[in-house]
Amino acid sequence: MFIVEILDEVKRDYVQEVLKKGKRPEERGFFDYREIALKKGVLSSAEGSALARIGKTQVLAAVKIGVGTPFPDRPNEGIMSTSSELLPLASPYFEPGPPNENSIELARIVDRGIRSSETIDLESFYLEEGKVMSLFIDLYVLDHSGNLIDASALAAMAALLDVKMPRVEECKIIRTEHVGSLKLGEKVVACTFAKIGEAIVLDASVDEEAATDARITIATVPETVCAVQKSGRGALKVSEIDALIDKSLEKGKELRKLLV
Amino acid sequence: MKIVVPGESVGDAKNIPSTYVEGGKARATVVGLFDEQEGRLVSLQGTYNPRFDDVIIGVVEEVKFAGYTVDVNCAYKGFMSSRDCRKPLRLGDVIAAKVSSVDEVKNVNLIEAFVLFGGHIIDITPTKVPRLIGKKNSMIGMIVEATKSEIRVGKNGRVWIRGGDTSLAARAVFKIEAEAHVSGLTDRVQAFLKKEMANGSVAGIAELSERNDVEGARQ
Amino acid sequence: MGEKPKLIVNGVRTDGRKPGDLRSLKITAGFLHRADGSAYLEWGENKILAAVYGPRECVPRHDMNPYKACVRCRYVMAPFASLEEHGRSGPSRRSIELSKVIREVFENVVLSEQFPKTAIDVYIEVLQADGGTRCAGITAASVALANAGIPMKDLVSAVAVGKVDGELVLDCNKIEDNHGESDVPIAFAARNKDVLLFQMDGLLSKQELGKAFEMAEAASEYIHEVQVNALKEVYEKKKAEIEGENNGV
Repeated sequence: MFIVEILDEVKRDYVQEVLKKGKRPEERGFFDYREIALKKGVLSSAEGSALARIGKTQVLAAVKIGVGTPFPDRPNEGIMSTSSELLPLASPYFEPGPPNENSIELARIVDRGIRSSETIDLESFYLEEGKVMSLFIDLYVLDHSGNLIDASALAAMAALLDVKMPRVEECKIIRTEHVGSLKLGEKVVACTFAKIGEAIVLDASVDEEAATDARITIATVPETVCAVQKSGRGALKVSEIDALIDKSLEKGKELRKLLV
Repeated sequence: MKIVVPGESVGDAKNIPSTYVEGGKARATVVGLFDEQEGRLVSLQGTYNPRFDDVIIGVVEEVKFAGYTVDVNCAYKGFMSSRDCRKPLRLGDVIAAKVSSVDEVKNVNLIEAFVLFGGHIIDITPTKVPRLIGKKNSMIGMIVEATKSEIRVGKNGRVWIRGGDTSLAARAVFKIEAEAHVSGLTDRVQAFLKKEMANGSVAGIAELSERNDVEGARQ
Repeated sequence: MGEKPKLIVNGVRTDGRKPGDLRSLKITAGFLHRADGSAYLEWGENKILAAVYGPRECVPRHDMNPYKACVRCRYVMAPFASLEEHGRSGPSRRSIELSKVIREVFENVVLSEQFPKTAIDVYIEVLQADGGTRCAGITAASVALANAGIPMKDLVSAVAVGKVDGELVLDCNKIEDNHGESDVPIAFAARNKDVLLFQMDGLLSKQELGKAFEMAEAASEYIHEVQVNALKEVYEKKKAEIEGENNGV
C-alpha cells in the first residue's frame, strides 16, 4: 500500500519537528510510557492468559500446557514455543495469512527474553523418557497503536504469572484439576526505544514508529540484560546503547511493579 | 433527538438520507442521531463518501502524464487534471482541493488544488466535520485563536495543522470528535483549551529535563 | 469426547439452565480503536472479537466488483480457544466454510451498492469457544458493522437450537453440542425475521424443526435488544460521563 509510505513521510517531518523542540506529539516525556493496564485471567480455556494495554495498543497472551516429545539434543527439557499473530483486525495494514517477518520477529524477541532469563525451569517439565510437558505462548495483537513488543512482553509475562498448572497423570493432562501456579524465576520485561533523527524516545506511538530510523528492544530481569534486538536501517552509538541499558533497568522496575 | 440503529423504524417519511423505505415504512441504515421534528438522520460513524463541491484534504500519491492521483482518505482515489493546476504538483504534496464531480462508478475529479506546506495531518470521523467547523466557523475559529495554529479541515475528515501549539490543537480536535453528539460542546471545548493552556508550561519543563537526560547520556 | 453424560436432569441442563434459557450475553461495541468498527462479545463462556474495515480500496483487484462493495469475511478460531490441546493457528476447513456462510448473511443486509469497487472486511476471532461460536460471531460482527457506520438494512441476530436427551434446547454449550443429537444454528434479520443463515446436522422431525424456529425467533428478540443497547451505549456512555462532570459528580 503506497499511500501509507507517503503519509508516513508527512508524519515523519512533523514528528521530527516536534521532537526537535524537546516535545512529543502526545505531550509526554521522552522516557514516559503511555498509560499501562494489565488484566490477568481473561480466558478460562487457556492455563494462563492476560490482556496488556499500552495506550490504545492491546495484546492478548495465552499460555497452553501440553505433553510432547522433547528435542533430541535436550531430552531432559520441556518444550517452550512462542508465536504471534498480527491479526487483521488490529490494523488496516495487517493482512490475513501466515505470519510475516514482523510477526515472527516479535514472537522471537519475546521468546528470547523469557528463554534467556531462565525464568521457566524447563527441566522441571520432564515427565519420563521421551515425554515432557510443553508450553505454548500465543501472542494475539488485537489493536495496534505502536510498541507491540513491550505490550507483548508484558502480556506474556502476566499470562505466565497467571498459569494454573494442570494435574498430569501418567503423561496425560487433566485440565479440570489444578496443582498450583507455574514456578517462575525473575520477571522479564522489555523496553523498546525509537531513535528518530537525533532524539530517542521510549514507547513509540504509531506516528513515531513511522518516523523511526532505528529501534532497540532491551529485555531485562532485575540488574541483568537478557535479550536485545536492534532493528531498522538507522544506526546507534555504543554510548547511546550504554545509556539505554541503564534506562531499561530503571524502567524495568516500573514495569515489574505492574506484574503482580 | 434520539439514537437509532440500522433497521430501526423512523416513521414513514420518504427520501431522508441514510434511510430506506420498505412496506411504506422508513428505516435507518446507520447508527445515527434522528431528529424527529425535522425528520433528519445524521450518521455518527462511517468513512468518507465523496460529493460534489466538498473541499477535501488529500495527498498526491502518483504523478501521471495527464494529472495526479490523490489519496482523499476514502476507498476512492481523487484525480486532479494537470490542466486544472496552475503549477505542477509533486509526489507527497498535501493539498486542499474541491470535488468537481463524482460519477456513478465513483470516479472523483478534483479542482482548485492548493498546496499546504509543512504541518501535520490527523484523521477524524468524517461525519463529525460539521461540528468541528461549527456555525460560521465558530468552533474551529476558537481553536485557532487559542493555539495560534493554522488549521484546515477537509470534508473527508482530514485535518491539517501547522504552527502554534499543534499538539493542543490536535487534542482539541480529537475531543470534539469524541463528544460531537453531546450538547454544550462549545463551552466544553472552550474550558478545555483554557485549562490546557494553563497547564502547558509545566509539562514543557518536565519534558525538557527528560530531554537533557538523553543529551547527557549521549556524551 | 468420552462417554455421554446425562445432559438434562429433572428439566435442568448441565449449567443449570432450563431448556428455553439463553446463556448470559454481553456485548461491548467499539472495543478496538484502530478498526473502523468493532465489538467484543461474551456469551456464556464464548469470547469473541469482531472488527470491520471499510469500505476501503479493494485489494487484490480481482475481488473487485464494479457495481457494489465486495463483502469479505474471515472467521478464525484461536489455537488456545478450547479446553483441549493447543490447536493449529489459521483457518481450517471448518472455519473457511463458516466464513462463507457468514459472509452471505451480511451480503443480504449490507447496502453494498452504495460503494462500488470497494471492499468491506469482516474479521471474527474466536478467542474462547464453548459451543455456538458461529451464531455468536454473527451477532458480534453485526454490531461491528453498524459500529463502523456501514449502511445496512438491518441488524442480524443468531442463535442455535439443539436436541439433547431427546429434548429441544436453546443455545447449546460445548458439552451439549458434543453429545447432543442435533444442532440448528439460525440467523434472523431483526425487522422481519427473514432467515439469513440456517444449518442443521443430526436428525429432527419437521415438527421439531418448526419448534426450533419458534424458539430461535423468540430468543433473537432478546439478542437484538442486547445488540441495540451495545450500539447506543457507545454514545450514551460518553454523554453520561460529560453530564456527570457538569453536575460536579
